[in-house]
Amino acid sequence: MAQVFDRSSNALARASLVITGLIVIALGVALNQLQRSPWVTRQGQRPDQPVPFSHRHHVEGLGVQCQYCHTSVEKSMYAGIPPTKTCMNCHAQIWTNAEMLEPVRQSWATGESIKWTRVHDLPDYVYFNHEIHVNKGIGCASCHGRVDEMPLMYQENTLQMEWCLNCHRNPGKNLRPTSEIYNMAWTGPTSDKPVYCADTGVSGPTSQGVVCSTEKPEGPKVALLQESAPGARSEGAVAPVIKLPLNYVKFTSQEDLGKFLTDKYHIRTPNELSSCEVCHR
Amino acid sequence: MSTEMNQPMQPEVVSTIAPAKPKRMTLAEVQAKLANKTGRRFWTSLDELAEQPGFDEMLREEFPRQASEMTSGVSRRGFMKVMGASFALAGLSGCTKQPDEPIYPYVKAPEDLVLGKPMYFATAHPFPTGAVPVLVKSDAFRPIKVDGNPEHPVTKGKSDAFTQASVLDLYDPDRSQHVLFEGNNKSWGNFQDALAKGLDGLRQGAGLYILSETVTSPTLAAQWKAVQAKYPAAKLIQWEPVNRDAARAGSMAAFGEYVDAQYKLEDADVILSLDADFLSGGHFPGFLPLSAAYAERHRYEEGKEQNRLYVVESMPSVTGFKAEHRLSLKPSDVEKFALALAGQGAAPAEAAKFLETVKKDLTKAGGKAVVIPGEATSPAVHAAAALINAQIGAVGKTVVYTETVNPIPSQQNADLKALVADLNAGKVSWLVILGVNPVYSAPADLNFAEAAKKAKVIVHHGLLVDETALIAHWHINKAHYLESWSDARAYDGTLSIIQPMIDPLYGGKTAHDLLAQFTDNPQSSGYDAVLANAKTVIKGNFEAGWRKALHDGWVADTAFSPKSVSAKAGSITPTSVPSGEYEISFKPDASLYDGRYANNGWLQEVPKQVTHLSWDNAALMSMETMKKLGVEETEMVELTVGGNKVKAPVLMVPGHPQGSITVHVGFGSTIGRVATGHGFNAYAVSTSSAASWTAGSAKKTEGTYDVCVTTVHSLDNRGSFAQSTVASVGMAKDFSNTHSLAGNEAMTRGIIRYATVEEAKKNPGFAHEGPGLKETPEEDMSFFPDDWSYKHIDKSSGKLQNAWGMSIDLNSCIGCNACVVSCYAENNIPVVGREQVKVGRNMQWIRIDTYFEGDLHAPKAHFQPMLCQHCENAGCEQVCPVGATLHTPEGINTMVYNRCVGTRYCSNNCPYKVRRFNFLLYSDYEQESLKLGRNPDVSVRSRGVMEKCSYCVQRIQAAKIQADKENREIRDGDIVTACQQACPTDAIVFGNINDQASKVAKRKADERNYGVLADLNYRPRTTYTAGVINPNPELELA
Repeated sequence: MAQVFDRSSNALARASLVITGLIVIALGVALNQLQRSPWVTRQGQRPDQPVPFSHRHHVEGLGVQCQYCHTSVEKSMYAGIPPTKTCMNCHAQIWTNAEMLEPVRQSWATGESIKWTRVHDLPDYVYFNHEIHVNKGIGCASCHGRVDEMPLMYQENTLQMEWCLNCHRNPGKNLRPTSEIYNMAWTGPTSDKPVYCADTGVSGPTSQGVVCSTEKPEGPKVALLQESAPGARSEGAVAPVIKLPLNYVKFTSQEDLGKFLTDKYHIRTPNELSSCEVCHR
Repeated sequence: MSTEMNQPMQPEVVSTIAPAKPKRMTLAEVQAKLANKTGRRFWTSLDELAEQPGFDEMLREEFPRQASEMTSGVSRRGFMKVMGASFALAGLSGCTKQPDEPIYPYVKAPEDLVLGKPMYFATAHPFPTGAVPVLVKSDAFRPIKVDGNPEHPVTKGKSDAFTQASVLDLYDPDRSQHVLFEGNNKSWGNFQDALAKGLDGLRQGAGLYILSETVTSPTLAAQWKAVQAKYPAAKLIQWEPVNRDAARAGSMAAFGEYVDAQYKLEDADVILSLDADFLSGGHFPGFLPLSAAYAERHRYEEGKEQNRLYVVESMPSVTGFKAEHRLSLKPSDVEKFALALAGQGAAPAEAAKFLETVKKDLTKAGGKAVVIPGEATSPAVHAAAALINAQIGAVGKTVVYTETVNPIPSQQNADLKALVADLNAGKVSWLVILGVNPVYSAPADLNFAEAAKKAKVIVHHGLLVDETALIAHWHINKAHYLESWSDARAYDGTLSIIQPMIDPLYGGKTAHDLLAQFTDNPQSSGYDAVLANAKTVIKGNFEAGWRKALHDGWVADTAFSPKSVSAKAGSITPTSVPSGEYEISFKPDASLYDGRYANNGWLQEVPKQVTHLSWDNAALMSMETMKKLGVEETEMVELTVGGNKVKAPVLMVPGHPQGSITVHVGFGSTIGRVATGHGFNAYAVSTSSAASWTAGSAKKTEGTYDVCVTTVHSLDNRGSFAQSTVASVGMAKDFSNTHSLAGNEAMTRGIIRYATVEEAKKNPGFAHEGPGLKETPEEDMSFFPDDWSYKHIDKSSGKLQNAWGMSIDLNSCIGCNACVVSCYAENNIPVVGREQVKVGRNMQWIRIDTYFEGDLHAPKAHFQPMLCQHCENAGCEQVCPVGATLHTPEGINTMVYNRCVGTRYCSNNCPYKVRRFNFLLYSDYEQESLKLGRNPDVSVRSRGVMEKCSYCVQRIQAAKIQADKENREIRDGDIVTACQQACPTDAIVFGNINDQASKVAKRKADERNYGVLADLNYRPRTTYTAGVINPNPELELA
């Protein structure tokens, strides 16, 4: 009986084994990449909105502060989407005939909500909380990116668990002074732009425990330092806001600043922060 | 090759999966087995006591074996077909993106609203025996949880099961949504027009009858007065099927006027309950203050004298089982006992010794004693109790008499009888029915439905289109109390304001709106009426006083002051009951009350105390009665009272008196998707006498009905363990034939530990001594490395880390179920339905285990709330293949639902059987109204996911975030779990066990603190405090 398979089939068989393996691996890699791709995460996508609201125009152009609209960001898990009334505060006076704003006027007249499409949409089993992040030194831009430079809103980061844990396992690298939370351009200290921080010794909310400045503490603050040496202040003098001389420490790297703030802000340990019940319940 | 092999293989076709039906023992077999069982031993159900083989089989499976199969209703194939699409979706959703989600912001945001932060408003849950002042948690103005008002002098933040569940009634999808005229949608305006025309024809209101539920609102009473002024001939009849007629008639007989008795159990050393079930739930007037005071005095502490409770009762209740001494008598004998104690007649022979001892003890206490008569008794018992209380000098000390919570007190059954007579005489032209459902619940001997048809126009006002609405011409949809303005008296008389939490969902009307239609100002609202009444009550600056009343929930200084009345020492008329074979006793259901909560899934599903019935009622009787009737459990009996008949399934209750049969009312309604088809309607044989029992006959009849009892399904197979333990302590002789008897383990392994005061004083460490008790092994046996020692010191604060734990005082737990319902509301627990409960799939995260002890005829019982123990060495965590259940640094055993793939290994490995598996899609994802009521801080779990008590981790997280924002430690008391919050007796305490100053750490430091099955080295974080009872040495222990 003649040989069914030619000798060259051996090579073919070996090659097909390798190729099959490669295909399986490629499929795995592809699925893995797909799962992380913007198509799934919606990173960078700008969904259609009823009003093409420009954060750039309002924040960078006009200087509206974040909390003017997102009122509950410091006190609730939700940052808050502004009611139509907030838009009408200004747009009852200016751009009153702009076609772009028709949905806003429509909403105001009919009492029906403007139907926005959510851009930052976490899965329903994730319980993210804005207030604790904002109160503990995570700035808006750390998660939302340079919103002040976005003509149309999009999602800067993947918002996947991997991304969350990245920070929860090492929160120091994203911490900033609470005075800089709403500073979109904050980049952290460098040797060119150092940051000076001091412990105020005041107990209470996080923001009161530490003062930071990007400028070398001089002028009135230095005067204050000199004036209020222990015992030097006379009785009955108006107590300054900051009572004791402040020992400003100069930070030139985010790593050092992060360590300092982690300690001063009582940031929980990575072990605690990456525990499941922190976000899932 | 053999020929057989050529034949095609015949696959074995399994067409149906028959649920395993354990062979039931006959009564004779049970009795034979029980014949030589005596001595101190625990058991949880009759099956177990008789060591039934089928029972053992039930225990072998983590869930009873049917539980893993489909049940009737949906065939497996049908289920796969239906679910095919969603399985596909579920599989894919891991890789696909989420759908677009819209955001609907406010147009004008309400002031003060911070989305994501709940708000709390004070109001009151109206109840015929006195309102329960509550604080309602409101998320974006949707009420989602009802708890007691912590600042109110009556509730002190505690609540009962009815109050907890009342929020579900608000979102009941069956609620009536329209005004109806003869079944067609009409408007409120249409009704107003029709009524105005109708009233024109009535001179002085003759023919106008208002049949209302018990009035506890002074505003409503004032409105009625106004109506009466305009229509002097109009009549108000207050009537509810479960009413206080016995108390009212007793009060009239004893004092010559209507008064309410208020008991001060904080001052009582000796308490005698005459069929008064004052510990079992909100149906007893003043349940919250009474149970709190009882538990406070029952605590075993240094330098404190424990109270002593005697109970004479006609149906085994939690009150009876909490008692030091319990005597089971049929209702007429309870009355004889009461009369004998009051010095009239003789007590039944078997009660003679009990009576003498109680009498001695009551007298000895010198005014620090009290006698409480039960609601479901007779006027004679109430009159006797008043007399005895006067004799022992209790009046003014442990009992005070005040004016009634109901501003227009009456004897309701007599009034209803008069109404029926007027109806039959054709005198009634307009019958306005406010909030009651007499067609369903009126005593059968009155034949109300027939009589009502003789009224010209019937107006019905109710939450549901119920049986009465169906015969009424007009139906007005009622506003739920969370949607209404009103007011009500609490138990102590404090005027509590009821304010709306939400606009009426379906434009419902209140009783105030309806009564206003009969006044000169029909447009005045409920708010106007309440305000007008408040003006007569609030002293000083009204505006400020009114705002304070709304904020606090009540008007200060409006509690009743004691009335000076004295009981007449004349003779008491004993109840005359026509002779009959059996005494049939009617009691309000511990879950459904008079049937008003029948459409409430939470309350239907909660297993009732003592019987552990869920979704069902039954004719409850003793084993002797069963034998006499020749029936087995699950067979049917026909109860006959005065010609009316009802068929009921039989259930044996340990400790039930002989010669009487107890039935619970509230079941058998045909209205509402939840209520329909469960139990039988006991009202069908009820009578209109003031006493709550009557004579009747019973006989075995055709058919069977497998009542739904939850007692056994959550026990597991611990048989071999138990046997070896039993053998090792040399007690094998006593328990040679036992298999997996959780009851035996209750003793040999110390699941239940208790002692008498004397034993405890002699040996304070009694909870850790005893044959067979093994304690937690030493630390070195931990599975975990040192990282998990929970002894880390926080760098910045220098304090030990948090370690959450719970302690439950078994001395205080009264098994009232408030915690179970509270947990439903807090944790979005789904209702699974009767069929699923029967196969052990109910989803409650906390259950109350009942362990009976001793003689079948006069058992003792112990209640033990069982929930996830949050073991430090948790067995469940070791076996989860996907890491869906794991430990947090603070020692909580946490579930990650989205990781769970449903292997159920964890549940198999849990010795406490507290994990619940979501077999089917139990949560209702469709019903819009139910979505409004969910707690947004807790996931709504889907099918195929294991769930269990989380120690209310959402509350822990909220407290942590608040504390972290303020840069402080979490204070003791910042975190209150839902069960702890509801508990009327403070039996449950939660907190940081690493903080030595915390309440929970102090409790755990007590010598009586013990862990259940601690010898497994699972190191449970939930521990129990062993009970201490204070029996009278002159009497044998019950």
